Amino acid sequence: MSVTEVGLPASSHIHPPPDTFIKKYVFSLDHKVIAVQYFITAGLFLVFAGLLAELMRVQLMGPNNHVLSVAVFNQAYSLHGTAMVWLVGIPIVTGAFGNLIMPVQIGARDVAFPWLNMLSFWMLPVAGILVFASLLFGAPQAGWTEYPPVSLQLPLGESLSLWCAGVFVIGVSSTITGLNFLVTIVKMRAPGMTYTRMPLFVWATGVTAFLSMIATANLSAALAGLFIQHNFGVPFYDVTRGGAPVLWQHVFWFYSHPAVYILILPAFGIVSEVIPTFVRRPIFGYKAIAYSSAAIGLLSFMVWAHHMFTSGLQHWEQLFFMIFTMIIAVPTGVKIFSWVTTLWRGKIRLDTPLLFVLGFLSVFTLGGITGVMLASVPADAQEHASYFVVAHIHYVLFGGTILGIFAGLYYWWPKMTGRMLDERLGKWHFWLTYIFFNLTFLPMHWVGLLGMPRRVATYDPAYAGTNFFVSISSFVLAAAILIFIYNAYRSVRHGELAGPNPWGARTLEWMIPSPMPYYNFRDIPIVLSGPYDYGKPLPYANISQDLAMTPVR
Amino acid sequence: MKPEQREPLLDSGFWRAVGVMAVISIVLMVGVVVFPIDKYFPEAATVSKPIDDLFKFCAFFGAPIFVFINGFLLYFAIRFRRRADEPIDAVGSEIHEHQGLELTWTVIPSLLMVVLAVLSYLVIPLYYPTNQAFASAVTLEAIGHKFYYEFRYPGLKQSVMNELHLPIGIPVTVDLTSAEDEQDVHNGAVIHSFWVPEFRLKQDMIPGIVIPIHFTPSELGTYRIVCSEFCGLGHSHMWGKVIVQSKAEFNAWYADQQRAAASPISAPLSLAGGNPSAGQTIFNAKCTVCHNAAPFAQRKVGPGLSQLFDDPDHPDLVTGKKATPDNVADIVEHGAHGDMGVMPNMQANGLSPKDVADLVAYLRTLR
Amino acid sequence: MAAAHAHAVGDAEYAEVSGHRLLGFLFFLISDCVIFGNFIFSYLYLRNAAPVWPPVGIERPYLYLAAVNSIVLFGSGATMHYAMEGMRHDRRSQFVAYTIATIVLGSMFLGGQAYEYTHLLPHTTWAGTTFGASFYTLTGLHGFHVFIGVIFLIVVLLQTLRGTYTQERHFGLTAATLYWHFVDVIWVALFFLFYIY
Repeated sequence: MSVTEVGLPASSHIHPPPDTFIKKYVFSLDHKVIAVQYFITAGLFLVFAGLLAELMRVQLMGPNNHVLSVAVFNQAYSLHGTAMVWLVGIPIVTGAFGNLIMPVQIGARDVAFPWLNMLSFWMLPVAGILVFASLLFGAPQAGWTEYPPVSLQLPLGESLSLWCAGVFVIGVSSTITGLNFLVTIVKMRAPGMTYTRMPLFVWATGVTAFLSMIATANLSAALAGLFIQHNFGVPFYDVTRGGAPVLWQHVFWFYSHPAVYILILPAFGIVSEVIPTFVRRPIFGYKAIAYSSAAIGLLSFMVWAHHMFTSGLQHWEQLFFMIFTMIIAVPTGVKIFSWVTTLWRGKIRLDTPLLFVLGFLSVFTLGGITGVMLASVPADAQEHASYFVVAHIHYVLFGGTILGIFAGLYYWWPKMTGRMLDERLGKWHFWLTYIFFNLTFLPMHWVGLLGMPRRVATYDPAYAGTNFFVSISSFVLAAAILIFIYNAYRSVRHGELAGPNPWGARTLEWMIPSPMPYYNFRDIPIVLSGPYDYGKPLPYANISQDLAMTPVR
Repeated sequence: MKPEQREPLLDSGFWRAVGVMAVISIVLMVGVVVFPIDKYFPEAATVSKPIDDLFKFCAFFGAPIFVFINGFLLYFAIRFRRRADEPIDAVGSEIHEHQGLELTWTVIPSLLMVVLAVLSYLVIPLYYPTNQAFASAVTLEAIGHKFYYEFRYPGLKQSVMNELHLPIGIPVTVDLTSAEDEQDVHNGAVIHSFWVPEFRLKQDMIPGIVIPIHFTPSELGTYRIVCSEFCGLGHSHMWGKVIVQSKAEFNAWYADQQRAAASPISAPLSLAGGNPSAGQTIFNAKCTVCHNAAPFAQRKVGPGLSQLFDDPDHPDLVTGKKATPDNVADIVEHGAHGDMGVMPNMQANGLSPKDVADLVAYLRTLR
Repeated sequence: MAAAHAHAVGDAEYAEVSGHRLLGFLFFLISDCVIFGNFIFSYLYLRNAAPVWPPVGIERPYLYLAAVNSIVLFGSGATMHYAMEGMRHDRRSQFVAYTIATIVLGSMFLGGQAYEYTHLLPHTTWAGTTFGASFYTLTGLHGFHVFIGVIFLIVVLLQTLRGTYTQERHFGLTAATLYWHFVDVIWVALFFLFYIY
C-alpha cells in the first residue's frame, strides 16, 4: 500500500497538502481556511456596520441634533442594515460556522465542491466593496429594504445600481454555498451516520442551506427588476406605467423572510451543540428540535406578507399570513422549551459558551413574544414601522444571531486555533453585552408603541429621555466587543494550548486534533449512534475512547 | 437502581421555584389586565381599546412564558451546577424525551395562537375593509405628499393641509393614497404612511392604490399623524394633526372652510399692517413642520428662514426672484416646488391675507 | 476534490463524484426555476392589477410564429434525447449527429426569437409598459439561457470529439442534456403564459 507525503494510505483519498502561500491562505480550497477567511472578512464588516449604528445613536441622543445631516443619517441606517444582514450575519452563520464545523461533524474531508466554496467566499469582499462603494455617490437611503418608488429617487446617481450589484453578488454567493452544503450533507455523511444520528448543528445547516438555495434566487430576481427599472426604465414598480410598488414588497419579502431564518437557524444549531456539552447530558427532544427546524424552513416561505399588513392586502391575504406567522411560532417555542429542559438535571459548567447560550435563550424568548404581537394584524397596525419593530428585530437578530455567534466562537475557538480563550475576559464580555444589550433595546419597545416611527433622524421631544438612555447604553454595548477582540488576540499570541477535546464533547470535530489537520480525519469514522449520549461510550467504531476526554474545567 | 429513580423526578426544590415563578407571573398577568393604558396614552377611537386588548392578550400570556423560561434558566443554572466535589466529567440525567411534556408544550401554544388568531380576526373589520361595507357616515380622502398630508372633505372645494378635523362619535372612512403634482417629474409620488398612534391605526399611502381605513373618534383632543414609511429627506419631519372636536365646533370649522373657498383671493396681497408677533404664532403653528427660524443651512424640509432677507450666500428665493417682502409673500400665497418637497399654497395652509402679512412682518424681524 | 489532484480516478470514485455533481446540478436548476418563477409571479401580479390586458396600444405577440418556434425547441429536446441514447449505447456517431442537430435547432429558436423581437420592438418596448417589461424580461432571460445552452452543447460536443467522454463516464453530457430539457420546460410555461393565456 503506497503512502502519501503525510504518511497516510493512498486509498484514504487524501490529496497532498497545498504548498504555496497563495494556495494555503488566499485561494484555499480547504473549508476550514475558507471559514477563517469568512470570519475575518465578515468581522471587518461587523465593525463597519456597528460603527454606522453608533453614528446613528449619536445623532439620536437628542431630538433635534445636527450631528449628521438627514441624508447621511439615512445612508447610515441603510448601510447598517444591508451590511449586517448580507455582509455579516449570513456569511458568518453559513460561510464561517457552516464551513468550519459541518463537514467535520458529518465525518467528511471537505464539502462537495471545494472550488465553488472558494468562489463563494471571494464574492463576499467583492460584494462588500460594491455596497460600500455606493457611499462615493451617496449611498441608498431607503433602508436595507429599498422600497420603490423612493429608493429610485434618492439619491440620484449610480449608488442604487452599486447597491443592487453588491447585494446580487452576495446573493449568488449565498445560493452557491447553500447548494454546496446541501449536497455535502445529503451525500457525504460518514458510514453509519443516518439523518437522525447527525448533530443538530448539521440539521440546522442543512435546512439553512435549503433556504439559501431556494429563497435567495428570489432576491436575485427582485434586485434585477429594481436594477433594470433604475437603469433602463423598465416599469415593474412604476405606477405611472402600470407598475406596482407593492410588487417589490412581495418579491423582496418572499426572500427576506426566509433570510431571517437563514440568520437564526444556524444559531439554533450552535445552541443545540453547546448545551449538551456543558451540561453533559443528552439534548432533550432531539427529534423535536430536528424536525421543527425542517418545519420552520418550509413554513418560512408562507409568512412573508406579515411585513405588508399595512400595504393594502386583501382580507384573505391578511388572514393567511397572520395564521401562518402564528403557526411558525410553535416549532420555535418547542425548541426553546426543549433546550431549557436539557439544563434540568444536567451537570452544568457555566463556561462562557454556555453563558452566551443562556443569554440567547433569555432574550430570544422576548423577541419571540414580540413577534407574536406583530403577527396579529390589528396589533400590527400600531406596531408596524415603529421602534417596536426595531426592538423586535434586534432582540432576535442581536439577542439571537449575534449571541449565538459568540457562543459558537467561544465554543469552537480551541478547535479552530488550537488555543483557549481567556475565561475571565469571556465572562466580562458576556455580562457587559447581555446587560447593555437589554438596556439598549428594551426601551425601544415602548417609544415605538407610543408613536416613534422608524428611519427618522429626529423625533418628538417626548421621547428624548429614552433615546438618550438608549444611546448611552449602546456605546457601552459596542465597546464590549473590544474585550473579545483583545481576548482573541491574546489567545492567538500566547493562549493556553488546547487539546483535541477541551470541553469533553462527543461530536466528531472533537475527535481530531486542534487545530484541525487539513485532511480532517486520518480514517473516515464509522458512526454507531447519536452524538449526545453522555455517560455511554463514544459512538464511533474506529475512534479511541480516550477522546471522550474529561473537560479541562 | 439508579439514584435518580429513587427520588421523584421533580422534587420540592423544583416546585418551590415553580411557585416563585408562578407568583411573579400572576402579579405580572394581573398587572397587564388592570393596567389602565388609556390613562397614560389615549384610546381615542372606538377601535383603540380592542387593539389594546389584543396587545394585552399577548402580554398576558407572554409574561408567564418569559418569567418561566428565564426563571428556569436561572434556577437550573444554579441548582444543577456541577458541584466542586463532583468529578469533572460527571454526567447528567439520561432523560431526553417525554411525550406528554412535549405534546403539552406544543398543543398549548398552538391553542393560544388559535385564540389570538380568532380574536384578531374579529377586530380587523372594525377598521379595515373585509367583505362587508363600512357603515360610515362620511368618506374623506387623505393624500400623502412630500412632506405633508392633504385632506379632501366632501363638499369642500379646497383641500385642508395637515390638519384632519373630525367630529367626535361619527364613523368616518378615510381613503388613503399618495400623489404628487403632475408637473413634478422628479418628485414622483412615494409611499407614505398614515399613523395615528392614539387611534392605534396605521395604513400606508401607496401611489396607484387607495386603501380605506375606518374608525370612529371617541375622545376629544388633538393627536398626531405620524408618517412611518420612509418617504425621502423630509420623512423625519412629516407629521400632521387629527383634531377631534365636538359636533358644533366641527360644523363651525367646516363652515369657515366653505366660506374661505367661496371667496378666493383675487387682489394682490397687501403687506401693510402686518403684526410680527401674530406672525410668529402663525409661523410656529404652520411653518415649523418644514422650516426652522434659523440660518439657511439648518434645513428641515425647506431651508432655515432667519436670514431670509439678508443672506449674501442665498440672495434669491427658490422661485429665482430676489428676496423681497413681495416676492416672499408671493411664495406663501402660491406655494413653491423645492428640491426636497412641495410647499403648499396659502389656501392649503389655511392662511388669510392678513396672516400672510403678519408672517412676512415676522420674517422681517428675524436676523 | 477529484480535481485537486492528478491520479487516475477509479470507477467507484467517478460514480461517487458524479452523484454529487448530479445532485448539485439539479439543485442549481431548481434555483434557476425559482428565478423564473419569481419573474412569472411579477408578470401575473402586474397583469392582474392592470385594468386591461394587454395595455392600451400593445398587440399580443403573434401566436403562430411562436408556435413554430416552440416546435423547433421541443424538437431540439427530442434530438438531444436521441443524442444521449447514442452515448449510452456507445454509438458516438449518433451522439455527434443528434447533438449537432440540437445545436442547429436551438440556434434556429434563437433566430426565431430575434425575428419576433424585431417585429415587436417598434411599438412594444421593454420600458414602455408592464407588458413589455414582463415579456422581454422573461423571454429574454429564457433566450439568454438557450444561448448559454447552445454554447454548453458546442463545448461538450468538442470535448466528445476529443474523447473526453465514454459510455460509462459522461457526466458533462448528462448535465448538458438536463440543462437543455430544463430550458424546454421553462419555455412550455412561458409559451402558455404569454401566447395562450
